[in-house]
Amino acid sequence: MTANYRSVFDIIGPTMIGPSSSHTAGAVKIGRAARKIFVGQFHTVQVDYYESFAATHKGHGTDYAIVAGVLGFKEDDPRVPDAVTIARDRGIKIVFIEHTIPSPIGHPNTAIVTLEGHHEKIKLAGCSIGGGTIEVRQIELLGQRIKLRGPLPTLVCMGPRKNLLLAEEKLKNEHINVLHKRLSKFKYEFIQELNTDKLTPPQTLNKLAQMCSRIIEL
Amino acid sequence: MYQTVADLIAAAERQHHPLWRLVLDQEMEYSKQPEAAIMERMRGQLRVMEEAARKGAAGVQSPTGLSGGDAAKIKRYRENGGGLAGDTMLWAIQNAIATNEVNAAMGVICATPTAGSSGTIPGTLFSLDQRFHYTDDEKVHFLLTAGGFGMITANNAMIAGATGGCQAEVGSASAMAAAAAVEINGGTPRQSAEAFAMAMSNLLGLVCDPVAGLVELPCVKRNVAGAVNALAAADMALAGISNRIPADEVIDAMRRIGKQMPASLRETGRGGIATTPTALKMKMRIFGEDVTNEDDGVVK
Repeated sequence: MTANYRSVFDIIGPTMIGPSSSHTAGAVKIGRAARKIFVGQFHTVQVDYYESFAATHKGHGTDYAIVAGVLGFKEDDPRVPDAVTIARDRGIKIVFIEHTIPSPIGHPNTAIVTLEGHHEKIKLAGCSIGGGTIEVRQIELLGQRIKLRGPLPTLVCMGPRKNLLLAEEKLKNEHINVLHKRLSKFKYEFIQELNTDKLTPPQTLNKLAQMCSRIIEL
Repeated sequence: MYQTVADLIAAAERQHHPLWRLVLDQEMEYSKQPEAAIMERMRGQLRVMEEAARKGAAGVQSPTGLSGGDAAKIKRYRENGGGLAGDTMLWAIQNAIATNEVNAAMGVICATPTAGSSGTIPGTLFSLDQRFHYTDDEKVHFLLTAGGFGMITANNAMIAGATGGCQAEVGSASAMAAAAAVEINGGTPRQSAEAFAMAMSNLLGLVCDPVAGLVELPCVKRNVAGAVNALAAADMALAGISNRIPADEVIDAMRRIGKQMPASLRETGRGGIATTPTALKMKMRIFGEDVTNEDDGVVK
């Protein structure tokens, strides 16, 4: 059993604007996850849809949902249905692409979100697995692709190798269990995914941030 | 984390705790939040559910016109003394429809466990509340217990129509509601598990065949089936009836059926009700696309 659903609020929730938890609420979360890994201001949002998302995104409001997430709205924000207009009014260019090939991350509800600014471009490949719960299976930062396990919560930490090991140790001391980890080389440093069984409290995150050059909480 | 219904029931019996208490403890451990914060957050979910049921009963319309106004009709019918099945069931029908109509109209709902099945738990809980007048805390406990069973279902099988059909959405919601209805009315943890198993067994095989791929037809009324089925399963369990096949085995049967279900019957709008002549005309009217009947029944 892979425990994708770790909180009772994954089941009794989210509170959301309809009509579909996987195609609308999950899509908001995919957009918000993409925003978390982008630093600064973006001028272009591109969304690539695969399989069920490619077939039904119009009817389920997936377009406005992903853009709402990218703008940082929550799933139950009344502005969600107007997100595309709001973003365009802010001068953000938005592109939706439907693909007919299978999902590159192997799930029927797949969206790949690309955010582009003047200095940075990131990609996030997410899938919506039901009831508004999502997985993030791949991200792309500074031109390098990083595969992730998928289920959330997960911490993506960057920095020197020994600091990443210290960060992991720190989590252990706080009784946060690491269910899965993957260390890989990233530019001149290392990057480590730490998939946890619990949420990491803000004060612990702050301490981890001091050990790492960058930390992303997905 | 409780991985099976058997684990959950054994822990409740061993610790002499109600099921909601175990789910609450589990959430405290996961979120590192105090009990009061979790209760408060769940009360917030309850408020959203109550507001959606109220709003839907007043009458809402979806942008496509495929759903809306039916909760108001049932409400009038009930208030005029109509009804073959008694007031509790009419309330269940009204609240289930009302919630899903609000969802289709892009209103705010609480996904329990999904948006498509968001009417089933309110249908069950608020109909019983009309008779038994629960306190807020009792209703929050109901949601915790339902959520605990839902987590086990989601982690061992699935809760998305795209992966398991409607049995995974309304079927799961109905089983969760049945288990919680037993507990809130004084049943034992074991009876909750029996109600869960009976409710889920009754809806195994239910396909997801939404017209035009939208969460409206037949989704809104399938939630009525879910809510009414939950009440029946809870009553059977409270009467001492056993499902005979244990809850965890029923969850696994649901998972296997979901795996065997063709893609055309898993939320693609390419089979079942979605490809009836009338449904295809509706799809044409809404999207203006040429649509072909792809109900090939092939397992993909």
